[in-house]
Amino acid sequence: MKFRYAMVCSSNQNRSMEAHSLLKKQGFDVSSYGTGAHVKLPGPSLREPNVYEFGTPYKHMFDDLRRKDPELYKRNGILPMLKRNLSVKLAPQRWQDNAADGCFDIVFTFEEKVFDMVLEDLHNRDQVLLKSVLVINLEVKDNHEEAAIGARIALDLCEQIEAVESWEDSIDDIMVSFENKHRRKLLYSISFY
Amino acid sequence: MVGIMNPVSREKLESLSSSVKFAIDLGSKLELCRQLKHDLLEEDAADLSEFLPRIFDLYSDPSGPVRKFATEIIGEIGVKHLEFVPEIAPFLITVLEDATPAVARQSIACSIDLFRHTLEQIAIRGLYSSELDSDLESSWSWMLKLKEKIYSIAFQPGSGGIRLVALKFVEAVILLYTPNPNGSLEPPPNEGTSIEFNITWLRGGHPLLNVGDLSIEASQRLVLLLDQLRFPTVKSLTTSVIVVIINSLSAIAKKRPAYYGRILPVLLSLDPPSFVIKGVHVYGAHHALKNALLSCLKCTHPSAAPWRERILGALKEMKAGGLADLALNQVHKINGSVEEEKDDSLLIKEEKPLTKAYDAAGSNVGRKRSGTEGSSDLAEKDEVSGKRVKATPSVSEESTKELNRNITVSQGDISSTQSSTRKVDVDTGPVQQLVGMFGALVAQGEKAVGSLGILISNISADLLAEVVMANMCNLPPTHPHTDTDDELLEDMCIVGSDTQAKYPPSFLADVISLSSTFPPIASMLNSQQSVPNKIVKTEGEEEVDVVADPNSALAYAGMAHEDENALLATDLPVSSNIVLPGMKIDPPTPSDIHDTGNLESGIPGLDSSFRNDGLSDTQAASSLVSTDIEDASQEQATSFGGKSPLHVRPSISIDRSEELSPKAAVTDSSSMVSSTATSVVSSCPFVLPKMSAPVVNLSEDQKDDVQKLAFVRIVEAYKQIAVAGGSQVRSSLLAYLGVELPSELELQKVLREHILSDYINHEGHELTLRVLYRLFGKAEDESDFLSCTTAASAYETFLLAVAETLRDSFPPSDKSLSKLLGEAPRLPKSVLNLLGCLCSPGISEKAEESQSGDRVTQGLSTVWSLILLRPPIRDVCLKIALQSAVHHLEEVRMKAIRLVANKLYPLQSIAQQIEEFAREMLLSVVNVDATERTGAEGLISESHKDSDLEKSSNEHQSMSSISKDISADVHQSETSHSGSSPSVPEAQRCMSLYFALCTKKHSLFGQIFIIYGSASKEVKQAIHRHIPILVRTMGLSSDLLEIISDPPSGSENLLMQVLQTLTEGTVPSAELIFTIKKLFDSKLKDVEILVPVLPFLPGDEVLLLFPHLVNLPLDKFQAVLTRLLQGSAHSGPVLTPAEVLIAIHGIVPERDGIPLKKVTDACNACFEQRHIFTQQVLAKVLNQLVERIPLPLLFMRTVLQAIGAFPALVEFIMEILSRLVSKQIWQNPKLWVGFLKCALLTKPQSFSVLLQLPPPQLENALNRTAALKAPLVAHASQQNIRNSLPRSMLAVLGLAPDTQSSSQAQTSQAHTGDTSNSEKDAAVTEKSKESSSAI
Repeated sequence: MKFRYAMVCSSNQNRSMEAHSLLKKQGFDVSSYGTGAHVKLPGPSLREPNVYEFGTPYKHMFDDLRRKDPELYKRNGILPMLKRNLSVKLAPQRWQDNAADGCFDIVFTFEEKVFDMVLEDLHNRDQVLLKSVLVINLEVKDNHEEAAIGARIALDLCEQIEAVESWEDSIDDIMVSFENKHRRKLLYSISFY
Repeated sequence: MVGIMNPVSREKLESLSSSVKFAIDLGSKLELCRQLKHDLLEEDAADLSEFLPRIFDLYSDPSGPVRKFATEIIGEIGVKHLEFVPEIAPFLITVLEDATPAVARQSIACSIDLFRHTLEQIAIRGLYSSELDSDLESSWSWMLKLKEKIYSIAFQPGSGGIRLVALKFVEAVILLYTPNPNGSLEPPPNEGTSIEFNITWLRGGHPLLNVGDLSIEASQRLVLLLDQLRFPTVKSLTTSVIVVIINSLSAIAKKRPAYYGRILPVLLSLDPPSFVIKGVHVYGAHHALKNALLSCLKCTHPSAAPWRERILGALKEMKAGGLADLALNQVHKINGSVEEEKDDSLLIKEEKPLTKAYDAAGSNVGRKRSGTEGSSDLAEKDEVSGKRVKATPSVSEESTKELNRNITVSQGDISSTQSSTRKVDVDTGPVQQLVGMFGALVAQGEKAVGSLGILISNISADLLAEVVMANMCNLPPTHPHTDTDDELLEDMCIVGSDTQAKYPPSFLADVISLSSTFPPIASMLNSQQSVPNKIVKTEGEEEVDVVADPNSALAYAGMAHEDENALLATDLPVSSNIVLPGMKIDPPTPSDIHDTGNLESGIPGLDSSFRNDGLSDTQAASSLVSTDIEDASQEQATSFGGKSPLHVRPSISIDRSEELSPKAAVTDSSSMVSSTATSVVSSCPFVLPKMSAPVVNLSEDQKDDVQKLAFVRIVEAYKQIAVAGGSQVRSSLLAYLGVELPSELELQKVLREHILSDYINHEGHELTLRVLYRLFGKAEDESDFLSCTTAASAYETFLLAVAETLRDSFPPSDKSLSKLLGEAPRLPKSVLNLLGCLCSPGISEKAEESQSGDRVTQGLSTVWSLILLRPPIRDVCLKIALQSAVHHLEEVRMKAIRLVANKLYPLQSIAQQIEEFAREMLLSVVNVDATERTGAEGLISESHKDSDLEKSSNEHQSMSSISKDISADVHQSETSHSGSSPSVPEAQRCMSLYFALCTKKHSLFGQIFIIYGSASKEVKQAIHRHIPILVRTMGLSSDLLEIISDPPSGSENLLMQVLQTLTEGTVPSAELIFTIKKLFDSKLKDVEILVPVLPFLPGDEVLLLFPHLVNLPLDKFQAVLTRLLQGSAHSGPVLTPAEVLIAIHGIVPERDGIPLKKVTDACNACFEQRHIFTQQVLAKVLNQLVERIPLPLLFMRTVLQAIGAFPALVEFIMEILSRLVSKQIWQNPKLWVGFLKCALLTKPQSFSVLLQLPPPQLENALNRTAALKAPLVAHASQQNIRNSLPRSMLAVLGLAPDTQSSSQAQTSQAHTGDTSNSEKDAAVTEKSKESSSAI
């Protein structure tokens, strides 16, 4: 695997972790992040979300929610999701705080808002290395089913990117063929570290 | 310093570099490189100078990654030791040409670093001395060469991926060459401190560098960059290049505002439609441009200011539409946050198709609370400024507030507020347009009545509900302040929020009259069409702000663009209309709501006294009421002058058509008014005394309580409406309220209780569906995980609760549940589980078994309709039905099987799946036999796997996994309670479905034949139980014939049963008979298969088969015998009894290969049936047999039996015997023995026959059967007989002297050997006869 990948969504729970989990299984060098201010998980009602700080271990959230209302959180898929997550990594990480994690070659976002935030964050960093990074937005609706589909599509795209020698030369072709294949609109941008 | 290189490290480095060279695989090479790099960077310059060529050497490596690494090492050495630049720069230039793009890119990445450091070094050195050493100069010249080279790459078309980095290099150089206004103006006091280089450090007189020249170069390069984006060059660029250039330019514009004015025109003129880059991917560049413009917009530098308008315009154009307009107005005054808002509103526009309108509008609810707060802020502002409410600025304030709040949360990143601001903007969707349309129509007055009616009748109830809700937003939450100190007069009319929607014409009338009274109101009403609550304020000292409820507060944000509000505020200071959807509430509530609004000054205390009246009136009216606004407005008018309390008269109901008529416009208060069908309008005038109002802040919980109470009131009111015949619109609105209010869970519970308390009368189905659709819409539409999941969860809870109640409280025959599940937008798993339990009782709770059969029927018919109506979940429903079809209770199973076989199986699309499942179940019965125990565990784990799969693929799961799933379950249960092969009921459980399918598709039947051979005894038994019914139902078809014509080995018994069933009671078809005969002739030699059709075969064929038949086991032969003799109803007996006996006697054991024993048994079998094989029959038979030549072997035996059976036949037998004598019976030793036996048995009648024997034979006979001699002699001695006997005879009898005795003795001796044998035979025969007669 030539490239380092980052999967980014807002809470580093559902979409990015689904993709992280899948790519990790496939042997990719992959990390995942969220761009939100907090990690928010659904609660009993819209007004009562469960809010955690980034860095709170998934295990902690899992135990917390299981204690609160196992039925509810099992039914809405949160517990299974957390269980999956804690098998992937320790805790959700925030994109804006990831400078120490080094350069990524490819960054996937799953929502345009997140895409813009990642780009803006990258632009705000000192771009001294002149190391290009490809940021791709694949719009994925934030629910469990769509996340699973989105992750598979992301994997497919990653495999295509891995297959070429340098994405800089062929990214347009990859995008076109991808869009034709999956009938999904992609958005990408190029930034630098 | 200039030390000698440490020999150890030198050796180490050398060995490292050589091992890099010779390492075989890439991985180890790179690892070695990494080590090398680490060690090298520790070294001194002098040491390195020696070593540098060796590293250059590494570059000759064939593999790209190694070359890249080598470049990287060299670059870093260069940065650390600038003195090497003259050597390294040429190297980097060559590397630029590298065939591997990654290596070339690395070169550029190294170059910029090197360039920056060199420049910095030179700049700083130049500060302190007027001369630079030649090394530095040469370094610089090399760097310039390198730079030029990279420039050429950057601006040369078609240089691929490397170009991206080169362009970035250009950007970096431009930034380096131009002063950074935010950077430090002075160089750091001592070298080494890391302050970002700023070209302003350079002063005049630098030996090498000239600020002016540098900035000229920078601007030239900038021009080149800009040119790239100009038409037509831009056409030839790839998207990625465009994206990079746009990003670079926006970065430059941001960091060097001086260039703002040069860059923006290019960006702005970049025409999105011209982004047709090879026909694809316009979107990426488009988005980049948008982001670039937005980021430029953020620039606070003065030079950016003039461009703001144009940028906004361009952004607006990019996404177009009215949304942008609003956003523009809104954001215009909010510096810094404009971009995001703009962005969002644009996005929304883009993403939201018109059809989703109501969802879009609905999403603003999430902002309610902050909206409320925001509006309170606004109120404060207004107090301070002393101005009237002005919508536009207020929204700005509010959103600024919001933004600010969020900014602190997200590290000053304004963009994180997008989701919240988005919601505010959403209001301006189609719903808002409709609101506008309504407003416009209303404003036209009388002539628009017709169009208004048409408009209303053309939009759906849901949309209308949206409009009503959305419109509430348009009512100003605060009352405009009066400039004078006047008494406050408030008139509150409480109106059900839906009334306007339901009866808009009345409203129209109101509006018209209103507008005639106060022209300014008309314009206001363009945007505010429901005016249920009036507050008239006259010359009050107090400023009273009335905020109705969170909704209207929320509305605030959305109404920003309503210029009319401002107009109203200026022109009509004393009137304000506020919607109070929650006003049918407990007396204290209104005041609470006021307070939630955080008003400057409320209306304290007055509520309890005045509103109590009002509300009690309302309650007395016990219905939703509407107000005659017309009336009220008149009163309003008067109140201005006379300060008199207002009166609002009760309205009377008018039917719709009336309302629609132009009459409605007439200013007659009574005809103007409308309400719901039975409602009575009540209103109460208040005169508010002067008082000061303390502000009461409620906690969140209190607010919730208030809200809940309000909602409960509304729901209660709906109960009344329902009695009068509710309407679609109402339920839409109720559902909307229940779902959208903040404390949604509680409210949904209330709503659910309302629905379930009287499902039928409360239009429970419609209401439930509306709630479900709303929740579903939220779950689907919301992009963020939180609301999505929450809504989905609420949806599930709601649906499940309703479904459970329907199941538990309605009789099984009720169709409500089925209808609900059929029409609900989505069926979550838990609901399907519920259905599953209904169809297969006992799966989960034992308690449910009591409800039994009818419930199962209910469940199954629901499943059926779901399968028909909802193709996407067909598989899951089918699974439920199939599960039920293998249920352990026969009653349940049979119902399910009837459904599956009769209704579902005929459906083409699922027939295959049903078949597979049934087959799998069938096979499971057989396979468990073979693999039981060992296989059980594997199957269980498989079932777990399946259930996982099921989760992931959700509703779309393949049938095979379903069947596996279920069969695995079945295995589990089997293994748990039986352990070994399945019992008969268990086998039946699994096979019934398949049998049922066989009746629909006969070819399936073949499978049963196949498995039959390997099935266990129990399974076979189960099969045999099924067969008669099955085959009778199937009848004879070509498929069945085909199966019969070639049955697999091992299935003979089954075949027999099938044939028997087929021939029972009917005449088998010629084909069947033909098939069976053919089968008998060719494959299956077992005559048994012919037995069922024997009665239908021609007699001669049967006779041919007779030896085979006789060879059958005795019991079967007996059956055959019966069949043959009875024959079929149509054709009569195949054979007569005589023919049968004769046929039996016709068998020659040796020839036919049939044991004699079988033949004798067959005979015995015949003799047992004396009523058939009568005396006459026997006589006839014997008569015929005796003529046979040779005589049948068993002839004498049969004769003996005949005598035994029918003694009356003696005379006849004698005749036979005498014929035997004439046939010289003694020639056949076996028969001779029988003959003698018979003679003995029938003495004395047989004497005359004996005496007919020739003397030698007589002598032989007497010798053999001594017992005969004496009686015979005595008989012969009678005179008359004796006289008739010849002498020789007498001699034998000893009645005359014997001359030839010796010779006779010899003869007799010659016979002895034979006869002793036959004597034995006879004895055997005798014995068997005895035994058989004993039976």
